[in-house]
Amino acid sequence: MPVLGRGAFLLLVAALCCFGQEPDAVRLLKQKCLPCHIGAQKQSGLDLSSRALGIRGGDRGPAIVPGNSEESLLMRVANHTATPHMPLQSPKLPDEDLAVLADWIDGGAEYESKAQTQAVAPLLDHWSFERPERPAVPTTVNDEWTRNPIDAFVAAEHERRNLTPMPETDRGLLLRRLYLDLVGVPPSRDELNEFLTDRSPQAYEAAADRLLGDQRYGERWGRHWMDIWRYSDWYGWRKGNDVRNSHRFMWRWRDWIVESLNDDKGYDRMILEMLAADEVAPDDPKALRATGFLARNYAKYDRDGWMQDAVDHTALGMLGLTVKCARCHDHKYDPISQQEYYQFRAFFEPYHVRVDRVPGEVDVDKDGLSRVYDSDEATPTYLYIRGNIQQPDKDKELEPKTPRLFGSGLGPIEPVTLPLSSYYPDHRSFVHEDLTAKAKANIESAETALAKKHEEFAGVEKEVGVLSVAEGYEKMSAAADKLKVAEKTLAAAKEHAIALAARIKADKAKYSIPPDPDYEAFAVKAREAERKAGILKADENLLRAKLDFDKALAAEKPDEKVIGEAKKRIAEAMAALTQASEGYHTIGEVYPSRSTGRRTALAKWIGSAENPLTARVAINHVWLRHFGKPLVETVFDFGLNGKTPSHPELLDWLATELVNSGWSLKAMHRLMVTSATYRMRSTAGDLDHPNVAVDPNNRYLWRMNPRRMEAEAVRDSILSIAGKLDLEMGGPEIDETEGLVSNRRSIYFRHSPDTQMEFLKAFDGPNPTECYARDESVSPQQALALVNSQLSVEKSRDLATKIGTDHDPADFVEAAFETILGRRPSTDEQEVGVRFLLRQPGRLAAWEVTQPGVARARENLVHVLLNHNDFVTIR
Amino acid sequence: MGKAHHAPRRKFLADLGMGFTGLALGSMLNGSTADWAPPDGQPHFAPKAKRVIWLFMIGGVSHVETFDPKPALNKYGGMRLGDTPFKDFADNPLVKENLRELIVGLHKVEPNIYPLQTGFKKRGQSGIEVSDWWPNLSECVDDIAVVRSMWTTDNNHGAQMQFHTGRHVLEGQFPTIGSWVHYGLGSLNENLPQFVVLGEPIDTCCGGLAAHGASYLGPQHRGVQLAVRPEDPLAFSTLGPGVSREEQQSEFELLSELNGLSTAEYPDDAAMLARIKSYELAFRMQTAVPEVMRLREESDETQRMYGLDHEATRSFGEVCLAARRMAESGVRFIQVFHGQNGGAGKWDAHSDLKKGHTELCEQVDKPIAGLLKDLKQRGLFDDTLVVFATEFGRTPGSEGTNGRNHHPYGFSVWLAGGGIKGGVVHGATDEIGFHAVEDRHYVTDIHATVLHQLGLDAKKLEVPGRKRLEIDLGHPIHEIIA
Repeated sequence: MPVLGRGAFLLLVAALCCFGQEPDAVRLLKQKCLPCHIGAQKQSGLDLSSRALGIRGGDRGPAIVPGNSEESLLMRVANHTATPHMPLQSPKLPDEDLAVLADWIDGGAEYESKAQTQAVAPLLDHWSFERPERPAVPTTVNDEWTRNPIDAFVAAEHERRNLTPMPETDRGLLLRRLYLDLVGVPPSRDELNEFLTDRSPQAYEAAADRLLGDQRYGERWGRHWMDIWRYSDWYGWRKGNDVRNSHRFMWRWRDWIVESLNDDKGYDRMILEMLAADEVAPDDPKALRATGFLARNYAKYDRDGWMQDAVDHTALGMLGLTVKCARCHDHKYDPISQQEYYQFRAFFEPYHVRVDRVPGEVDVDKDGLSRVYDSDEATPTYLYIRGNIQQPDKDKELEPKTPRLFGSGLGPIEPVTLPLSSYYPDHRSFVHEDLTAKAKANIESAETALAKKHEEFAGVEKEVGVLSVAEGYEKMSAAADKLKVAEKTLAAAKEHAIALAARIKADKAKYSIPPDPDYEAFAVKAREAERKAGILKADENLLRAKLDFDKALAAEKPDEKVIGEAKKRIAEAMAALTQASEGYHTIGEVYPSRSTGRRTALAKWIGSAENPLTARVAINHVWLRHFGKPLVETVFDFGLNGKTPSHPELLDWLATELVNSGWSLKAMHRLMVTSATYRMRSTAGDLDHPNVAVDPNNRYLWRMNPRRMEAEAVRDSILSIAGKLDLEMGGPEIDETEGLVSNRRSIYFRHSPDTQMEFLKAFDGPNPTECYARDESVSPQQALALVNSQLSVEKSRDLATKIGTDHDPADFVEAAFETILGRRPSTDEQEVGVRFLLRQPGRLAAWEVTQPGVARARENLVHVLLNHNDFVTIR
Repeated sequence: MGKAHHAPRRKFLADLGMGFTGLALGSMLNGSTADWAPPDGQPHFAPKAKRVIWLFMIGGVSHVETFDPKPALNKYGGMRLGDTPFKDFADNPLVKENLRELIVGLHKVEPNIYPLQTGFKKRGQSGIEVSDWWPNLSECVDDIAVVRSMWTTDNNHGAQMQFHTGRHVLEGQFPTIGSWVHYGLGSLNENLPQFVVLGEPIDTCCGGLAAHGASYLGPQHRGVQLAVRPEDPLAFSTLGPGVSREEQQSEFELLSELNGLSTAEYPDDAAMLARIKSYELAFRMQTAVPEVMRLREESDETQRMYGLDHEATRSFGEVCLAARRMAESGVRFIQVFHGQNGGAGKWDAHSDLKKGHTELCEQVDKPIAGLLKDLKQRGLFDDTLVVFATEFGRTPGSEGTNGRNHHPYGFSVWLAGGGIKGGVVHGATDEIGFHAVEDRHYVTDIHATVLHQLGLDAKKLEVPGRKRLEIDLGHPIHEIIA
């Protein structure tokens, strides 16, 4: 303990371990033993900070033998019947303390008292752990400025601090701000001019409503929530087609996010579907897409890492809690014990990911629905001692529970009985139909192939007359081999179709209600048909493998690897021929027919009006993305180590408003963007403005915060103003290398920790591992991307043409400013622009540019405006 | 929107506003965090080195056939480990304590002792033994400090990431050593990126681009990947389709004029000032970077030093020569990779070790020796720290008939220049190169040593809310510091 004094250390230990009553013996341990026997400073290898560790003991064996104080080394060194006498170099403990210790060990050496585990009351007085009370809207002096309750709360702070709110910004810039915020692209010049000439008092509100109803809203805000929910397409080893992380069809979850936002699905319902659609909507493939939230945590080789991500990011994203520290020890700041961390994990313990078939594609590597389900309700959850996955504390199986700090809000956990279509998804009729159609198609293509081989054989027969005997023999036998393969392939395909039909029939009988009395007979038939089909398939495979083997051997340079591969296939085919099966194989995998209901209970608890964190955390995220800065700076940490809100009452008012609106996010957007706070100018225009001295960082919102567009908005806006943005929605992720040539919105490109579009990366595109708020860096790579990329150069050319070819220079400059920057040029800017347009053609000719002239000069001007700071800035 | 009254303000900005650095800006944009300030770009104490060249061999170099001779392997070659005096090695607590198998049982402790596939000789004044596969580097042995007692926790190639961040790839992405240096120290040359990556980075299996990422330090601290390919060395650095250089310059001029007019309108917008600055750097970078890559400007003699005149050594020779040119031009951290093969890495000698390592050593031996000699002759050696590393060593036992498996319990790296002692060996593995037994060092000790030589204290660089464990920080290896 080089830094802390002993007293301070004990306080620390106390803070680490206890929130309530604890046995006297444990208090003694903390005072007398733990200073030298905990964590990294465990003397002689002994750590006494938990029961399991005490039992495990140190270099000298177990320290505690529960129920037997006499045999416990801890007791023997304490009562000085063994050496070294403990506590080291201190007086022997008084007899009454020794008795307390002995009784405690004899009684089982429980570290937590009964009273402690039963405590339910909130344990700490911390603002975010109490349910938000709806505060009264303040009455303020500045009534004229105030448009809605948000403004009243903001104005109250202004008045308290003597801040003057900035006036409403330029109308054109306001519309640009609104467009970029709600749909992620700026208004077109026509839209801008229409708005500027619309004198109706509600023109702005009408624009807000129109944009909230625009499908592009779902894409814009979908990307925001994808940041928070850690969207990632699958990754791992792409070349080996090896899905190691996330899951293959994550894009369906992305589409669900976009659609849900456009439908204004309640935020509570979104939480419920993401965590438990498989339990609350097991029959609804559209809703099941939502469970991509959990499927995304999939980690092929690391189940514990997977579980940790599920726990940590559910807490970070939805609850604004950092629970990660409690993996290894009790949380140092928040009242979350290590045990509670693992109890939280128990909600997720049974879940796994699977791919269900979707209509039209039988190959689940090509298309399918990645979704979660409870695969094994009996999987126990243990606490890992010091977070070490090699050391589960198997003494205690942990039940799913929410941390005590939240009180008793968790509802009952009720197992869910799933419908047949859910636990046996391949029993759905479209799967039967698709498989049958596929089997039929296979027969047809095998027939075609066979006919072709017959033709080829006939051709060779004609040809052999003029060849040498050796050559003729070689050609004939090669053609005959191919014919044989084709024959066997067809035979196998036909038999496969027969077996498939028999298996479907048997399946239908097996799962019919009431049970079909003929099931047994059908099952026998299915098994026989399947066996026959298996033999024919193995026969086909054997022939193919043998031919490949011969070919590999005969090669000029025999390749060991190819020969080995063929040998392996021969052995496999032989093995298949001798394999007997007891029964037929069902059409697909049959999963458990019951789900634990754990995640439903968790989701309902998170999405409850009673939960003190959920609405606050969500509204804070929305606020951040409208105002550039959040109300609570630590967007993922509302705990004791987080920052306090700049406007606590506003936060609580908004949180209750979110709940009262039926968790409508659109209602919240509307409230925010129509507020006077939102409409303010983003600059004081003067460094000497008195507000600057009072509140230089604009914590109290006396002006709007200017922001840099996010990566996707930069790219989409270029495409949009150039008139090239492809508004097609949804579908599988597009290869990230297509980013500079495809015109689809950026949200649709592949994005994972190891595959990201270079252009988006330059502009701080989201880190798919964790991105609760975007970085807003300014780097030379961004400049290069906007100056030199094919995207910006080519779209500038498109845009220059689009703006028009018959303008005079002054009109062109004005049109270009309005189209690209959403504002008119100032007189100075106009002058500079016109001068450039007049001078540039002559210079271009001197530089031997391919197509010098006025058009090229205009392209240059447009390209410059795309690089203008005001283009990437949301003012 | 009249502008007339803005003229004096424009002057004010020209005087004062352009000095923003990315670092200062970061803190302004992120809002204040009480009592914490980002690094000011100055070292925390007097540095010995100004820059780092970090050479990383992908796949796992065999320590026992390069820098850590083990004659016992020849003596017991072919015998089962269990029949030798070392029979307990596999059960040594060090195995259990330090090994963390995320993919259990994938890589085994190979039980059959495999004899050395090459010879060793004492080299230089110091007499350090280096294998016969390094004839050129052997001439430099009096300038390097070999650390023979490295260990790491993982025996799969995710440990490549571990060697750059201290954390295995499956634990997530963390700031890399280069990004910490970039974060901590200011620029040596305003025209060039300060953290560059040369050679092909490790594959996505094992960390991919995150092995030169900056994680939570922010994207501005990421390594900038440069291809040793004069026509396109930097992303988006070549002119757009059909654009001429003068045309581009005229655009930059117009842009600067227009942005300047806007600064007057928004005097309190720090990002705007930074953006103007970033365009200036971008403009310089797009020419400065290709200039640094003009390797053919070097004399024939220099090119030969790096082996540019031989097929086997040319490719890596170019990388090493580019690294020297970068170092000379003021790049702070140059991360060099060798052995990318679209998988675990070329050095991954599961079979045919002799053939593979002979070829690979040949590819890098001359270029690396050339680099050390060239740095010396140009007076750059004393303040340039060169690190040669790999993710782990290879098993004393054989895998199959002629390979060695992954070996995290003991392996070698070396350091040179930048205030490091020359001609010393530090630490040791046991008789067969199984366990690091003397002066054991976890991979982050190399990070700590690098930072120490640069005058940086890792603890002081820590970012609020991003607590690092002691093992993440490591300890400088003082014994090899001059």
